[in-house]
Amino acid sequence: MNNAQRDLARELLEQSLAAWRVTGSVERAGDGALVILGSKSIRIDAAPPDAMFRWMVAIDGRQRVAISLVAVLRQVREALDPGYAKNRVRVAVAPLVPYPSGSSP
Amino acid sequence: MTAAAIPVSVLTGFLGSGKTTMLRHLVRQPDFARTAVIINEFGEIGLDHELIEASQDSFIELMTGCLCCKIRTDLAETLQDLLQRRDEGRCTAFDRIVIETSGLADPAPILQTLMTDATVATRLVLGGVVTTVDAVNGIATLEREGISRKQIAVADRIVVTKRDMVGSLHPALLRRLDELNAGAPVVIADHGRVASPSLFNAGLYEPQTKSTDVMSWLAEPADSHAHDRHDAEITAYAIVREEPIRAVSLSLFLEALAEHCGSDLLRLKAIVNIAESPDRPAVVHGVQHVFHAPAWLDRWPSGDRRSRLIFIARRIPQRWVEVLLAAIDAEVAAVTAAK
Repeated sequence: MNNAQRDLARELLEQSLAAWRVTGSVERAGDGALVILGSKSIRIDAAPPDAMFRWMVAIDGRQRVAISLVAVLRQVREALDPGYAKNRVRVAVAPLVPYPSGSSP
Repeated sequence: MTAAAIPVSVLTGFLGSGKTTMLRHLVRQPDFARTAVIINEFGEIGLDHELIEASQDSFIELMTGCLCCKIRTDLAETLQDLLQRRDEGRCTAFDRIVIETSGLADPAPILQTLMTDATVATRLVLGGVVTTVDAVNGIATLEREGISRKQIAVADRIVVTKRDMVGSLHPALLRRLDELNAGAPVVIADHGRVASPSLFNAGLYEPQTKSTDVMSWLAEPADSHAHDRHDAEITAYAIVREEPIRAVSLSLFLEALAEHCGSDLLRLKAIVNIAESPDRPAVVHGVQHVFHAPAWLDRWPSGDRRSRLIFIARRIPQRWVEVLLAAIDAEVAAVTAAK
């Protein structure tokens, strides 16, 4: 994982804390890990290159893996935002256009 | 789904904003013939339907109770009953349905019902949301009533009523409407009359031509590139991306939006340049956490092949959305490259 990807992940976490109105800050540790200082201690490391997952998330010392940034966000929010109730995408039955052009390419 | 799908539009607006008066005029217009109108009134005894006399080819159905909370099932059942009567020739073969909500209704759950109820959704196509706001009390109502701001925010068309009572429109009202939903065209009603046959054809699908009109449907917020438009809670903004977006990225992005934003994502409309489908853009529409499956256009509607995502949201920062999309797409690109 290169620096640009880590920087983007860091900005996403910073913006997410603000969007969720959760108190905390994001720092980058000397070894490249992302550390969130908030109501809980969270450390996010990139997974080894040959791993089946992308990230490792340690929350108050308990480590879990995450297959994507979306999964990282979910874990971080569940840890920091006690009022969080996630929604799942629901796909509409009705198509947007009732037409042959509505079929997938 | 066949080409005979019926557009269903939602007419909303706060109490006393002139919905029924406007509808009373509309149902007498030739352009509005063959329309089934469902009127929802709050309370046990409805009155509004008594004020409307439909033309010979249109007719009125009445529902009582609050459409947006406790009788959403009733809406689906009413629609199903209408469709069945139409199929069996027991009523006018209407070409359009308009649902007039009560003045206190939140339109978002109604849209969700229209999108997701399996008994009716396959027969219908969303015709759009028309919201009335009155020129006399509109400013005060928008200031005081959160639901009225939401009704404006989700609109595809806004009708300003009672202009005849104030002479000229107050610039503050137009500014407020612009702040809440700059993408929706504003139409002025004169004594309840609206000279706009296309008022209720605000959806992606144009029933007369049986085609899609994505450019007007997307109606980007003005000046959205320069700055986002702030309300205390509701913001409308556009995100524009030059680079194509991978299909997996779009799916993950929508999943994350639904998961983290839920009911704060009032509406999302988008035309997306999908990396795997460069010549056929995807059109996306969502209300809160409910999304239509993307519609694939046969071609780009113009030479502009950038992805454009229009957000009307409550307390969802634009920068967060931009970074979320960028980070997800970068991660998907990295994973793809590593394979």
